Amino acid sequence: MSGDTLEEWDFLVEEGKVREFARAVRDPSWQDSVPVPPPTFPVVASAAFVERLVTQYLDLDRSRTVHGEERFEYFGPIRIGQVLRCRARKVSDEVKTGKRGGRMRIVTTEVEFAERDTGELLCRETMVSIEKEAAS
Amino acid sequence: MNGPAPEPIVFAPLTRTDLVRYAGASGDFNPLHHDHAFATAAGLHDVMGHGMLSAGLLGSAVTTWFGAGSVKNFTVRFRSPVWPGDRLTATCRFREGDADGTAEVDLLLSRGPDDVVVAGVATVRLDRALAAREQKVGEK
Repeated sequence: MSGDTLEEWDFLVEEGKVREFARAVRDPSWQDSVPVPPPTFPVVASAAFVERLVTQYLDLDRSRTVHGEERFEYFGPIRIGQVLRCRARKVSDEVKTGKRGGRMRIVTTEVEFAERDTGELLCRETMVSIEKEAAS
Repeated sequence: MNGPAPEPIVFAPLTRTDLVRYAGASGDFNPLHHDHAFATAAGLHDVMGHGMLSAGLLGSAVTTWFGAGSVKNFTVRFRSPVWPGDRLTATCRFREGDADGTAEVDLLLSRGPDDVVVAGVATVRLDRALAAREQKVGEK
């Protein structure tokens, strides 16, 4: 793994999982003979990592942490049957002072999803977590 | 300008079952989203919808309007939590079109007037709209 990589893992894009996810977010594709992964489907591949990110890597207090922003950039389609090579890294981790004077910790993390066999980058997911200051 | 904005999509009110279904489908088992006792002990009045469920609904509105596989970029900001019983509406406004057959759209998922829960921006391919189905995603 390269220097700033937190974790690297593989994820198989299974048809049943795509259909289950599409149904959960009410994507019309869930009833298609071959469902298409919805735009936010990569969260399925990163869910276990995100759990460890919050509890282990960042040591955030979940009761004070909110999900601020999430971004998906596509460079190619994710398809059923692909094995994705997933690589997660922390982009930034900073403390800022909010408008009302409270301090916030803002952590930006990204996961890149590449076709394992060709190495072609398909999608980059970027997430911003905001931990508010503990009440004193 | 790329023609008239697509019709708003109204999703059926969220149920606790929807939250559990999303937890299982996504793998996000934060108990705030399904365990009422845990949620109230954390100071919430009820279990809270996953932010990414709201984002997913907005994403489904985009694929309904522009077709499966139309999304090139999709960014969401979480403005307000969502609760069981909320009836959410997705709306879309064209920002600008590019010569390469894509368009930038501003997206909102709202509980009511001036009550935005998720604000988004997407870059979409316009050539997938022909393949878009007429089926409304809000129906079960």
